[in-house]
Amino acid sequence: MRNNLVDTMLQIAWLEGWVNTHGAYEKAVTKRKVPAYISESTRENLVKRLESALEATRPLPPLTVGLLLRGARTGRGLRPQEIFSRLGVTQNIYQLMEQDVISPLKIPVAVWKKAIQLLSYPVDEMTEILRRTEQLVFYRPAFRGVLARYNDGKKPGLKRSTLEKANSELYAKASLPLPEDREAKLKILISKLKDETGKE
Amino acid sequence: MAAPSNKIIVQELKSGNRLGCTHLVNLYQARLIDEAVRVFHLHQEDAEELVADVLLLVVKNIQTFEFRKSESDFNGWVITIFRNKVRDFIRKAATTGDLIERFEEAELEEDKTFSKTEQQVTEAIVRGYQEAVRQAEGENVGPVAAKLLAIADSLDRLEPWERVLLRCRALDVPYEDIALYTEKPVAQLKVYHARVKKKFVRILSEQYPELKENEKQSG
Repeated sequence: MRNNLVDTMLQIAWLEGWVNTHGAYEKAVTKRKVPAYISESTRENLVKRLESALEATRPLPPLTVGLLLRGARTGRGLRPQEIFSRLGVTQNIYQLMEQDVISPLKIPVAVWKKAIQLLSYPVDEMTEILRRTEQLVFYRPAFRGVLARYNDGKKPGLKRSTLEKANSELYAKASLPLPEDREAKLKILISKLKDETGKE
Repeated sequence: MAAPSNKIIVQELKSGNRLGCTHLVNLYQARLIDEAVRVFHLHQEDAEELVADVLLLVVKNIQTFEFRKSESDFNGWVITIFRNKVRDFIRKAATTGDLIERFEEAELEEDKTFSKTEQQVTEAIVRGYQEAVRQAEGENVGPVAAKLLAIADSLDRLEPWERVLLRCRALDVPYEDIALYTEKPVAQLKVYHARVKKKFVRILSEQYPELKENEKQSG
């Protein structure tokens, strides 16, 4: 295409958004025959750069049930009722699950099974999430005490919500031993979940 | 083997599958470099770097992309990113004076087509744009766009099919496509393109009476 005075001016206007082609340009680009003058090394270099960028942008897996449910709901643009009715729990229970304030041990295995199917989530990762959520629910009162000491007015710059978020993540990641009876119940839940999802 | 669809490429990238990067490059790299070189007259090395930046942005922001109407949404999104990158490149060229140099080369090719005043008008618009970009320093782009208001106003005074012809040909949309949009035969569009350009520049010149006056006096 020849460099042309009026065309150059119109191109600038298009680039700056003052002129548009209502999709005609986009369609034309898709239909054009592409000359193969890109060297293999240029192509491969770009693929490598993109792969590194993709690796860096991969989202971290959710740590708890609440993060998993909230992420799935907002990611798919669903309303809470569209999820809790499919899981077979009441709205109140679902809200408690999203807020990570209910022990996974109080939720029937069938619900977790439905969650795995609904969210197409691997069973092994789900069992890890259940364990961390149980730790979170169990240790939360203890950490609240710590938070209260932190937030005694000596450090007014630190917001309670910020600290709470940081602590939630920290103790969900940490190895926090559960009492024997809870650990036993959790093992039973996980074992049932694995058995039942494995049968299908 | 058929190239994977846009939907598959987006799924691969969203799920972190590296194959999506290869498919994205196969589909867009050569195509966009060709656009940057042939339509926007960038040098090959600049075009390669610009397109690499475009595709990196696509990968980095893939989680924010959603199909709303059809498969072509992705194509539109990629070209919007490409357009923004080319615009930034042109703005940079404007701040260093390269834009006027490119423009002067174009003028030499066409000094028989347009009158001196008409050439001065188009140059005045580009100089005005360049000046506005320099003053904005990439911050407030409002005044930059305002400099192009004369172009949009002049286009509005053309017939609808004339507007489509000018806008689309500036971006190398084929005459066959324009014929579908305007319901005019290809042969007629080809003949009228130069005439419509001339008409457009004449209308544009009316917004610069001082230059017309100078021509009368020197004539």
